[in-house]
Amino acid sequence: MKQRKLVSIVLALVLTVLFSGVSFASTLEKIVERGELRVAVQSGAPPYAFIDKQGNPAGSMVDFTQGMADAMGVKLKILSYDWDGLIPALLSGKADILAADMTPTLKRALKVTFTDPWIYVQPCIFTTTNASFQTLEDVNKPSVTVGVLLGSTGESIAKKYLPNAKIKSYKGGGRMIVQALEAGHVDAGVNDDLAVLTVLPDYPPNSIRLLEKRLGPSKDPLAFAVQPESVNLWQWVNLYFKTIRANGTYDKNISYWMEGIEWKKDH
Amino acid sequence: MLEYFNFRVIYEYLPLFLTGLKYTFIISLVSLGLALIVGIIASACRISGLKLLAYPVIAYIEVIRSTPLLVQIYFLYFGLPTLGIMVPEIQTGIIALMLNSGAYIAEIIRAGINSVDQGQIEAGLSSGLNYIQRMRFIILPQALGVTVPPLLGQAIVLVKDTALLSLISVMDLTRSGQTMTSERFMPAEAFLTVTFFYMCIYFCLKALADWSQRKLIFREVY
Repeated sequence: MKQRKLVSIVLALVLTVLFSGVSFASTLEKIVERGELRVAVQSGAPPYAFIDKQGNPAGSMVDFTQGMADAMGVKLKILSYDWDGLIPALLSGKADILAADMTPTLKRALKVTFTDPWIYVQPCIFTTTNASFQTLEDVNKPSVTVGVLLGSTGESIAKKYLPNAKIKSYKGGGRMIVQALEAGHVDAGVNDDLAVLTVLPDYPPNSIRLLEKRLGPSKDPLAFAVQPESVNLWQWVNLYFKTIRANGTYDKNISYWMEGIEWKKDH
Repeated sequence: MLEYFNFRVIYEYLPLFLTGLKYTFIISLVSLGLALIVGIIASACRISGLKLLAYPVIAYIEVIRSTPLLVQIYFLYFGLPTLGIMVPEIQTGIIALMLNSGAYIAEIIRAGINSVDQGQIEAGLSSGLNYIQRMRFIILPQALGVTVPPLLGQAIVLVKDTALLSLISVMDLTRSGQTMTSERFMPAEAFLTVTFFYMCIYFCLKALADWSQRKLIFREVY
């Protein structure tokens, strides 16, 4: 009896030490120890992250985070989520880094910690070529339906600049809006310009046009995000971007993925 | 555990959840009613013995049963407009659920009717009852007893399947949870509430099932 008590006390002590040890280790240490960097990306959002023709994850984010994993000396694990699942995935600890085309809004920053912006984009509004809309005012009517991505900046921008239009929100990447537009379920769509320009070549030429290249006055920064307690990882990611900006890797990535659609040949 | 939940946010989003509940409820009810009609007609065609009626129904049932509901929804929502047929999302959802559940219901009814012993039908025949009379007095009362429990199971499945409609931007219960998650990043609170409401619907259906089983089956059969 006495022995069993002793054993259970020792076991409790060992467990306490083990668990407290785990909780004190920084996220960066945990990643290195695990040998795996887990990155949450948005599924189906070329050129940021998508599944290519060979079935592999590809895109600008995948290349950036692959570089990070290489620098850490660990393997990269890509987890793809729908837009609204990204922050919950990060907060619940399923991912270490959130690498999506996400704008660091003040509201989101209440929950997660954003790195320095790595690129600036702009939300745009697009419609079919044969639609009669000419100005933003034509779209801002109760009879018009605008497609956006659930929980995206495009959604809040659309609500702000098109308050009279009916907003329909979709899940599953920017392509879904274009698809809904093609099918006639929405009359126009709002998403960031890079995401729109990248998918346009997949549709018949001259079937979709940009109505307004720049919706809203300001440019939207995009940033990676980490869990609030991962201070060292946050600084590490910032340092990583500074490093690759200096050595040219950053420019190579941007010009390959963002400044043309040449990559469509390889992916 | 509950002290970590932010109940204030749930309260704040209650109108959204109630909208979701309303749509889930209406869509379930309408598509269940239509699915029953489709199921009854399809099973009637299938057991009629007329090849002209039975073969298309068999094809329909096999197509539905061999494909996921999500694929059927996507086909109806994104596929049909390119073929020139334009249906808004709630109606698309109702049609998809109707066709999907209708196929399963047809099979449930067919199985129920087939479960009636051949000897009873022969007894009816030798008593001089015609087809309608045999159906009315011998086959259907007994088939009903076998059919009702799986039918209610199918009804519960249909209610849960409405969650897939959130993917074509229908504002159902699941979508209300997704919306709150995307705005406040509180999936635990959002989906706990959604779970609660689904359970409410489930227990309502279950109560209905128990009641109808007592009322319908025991009086007819025994």
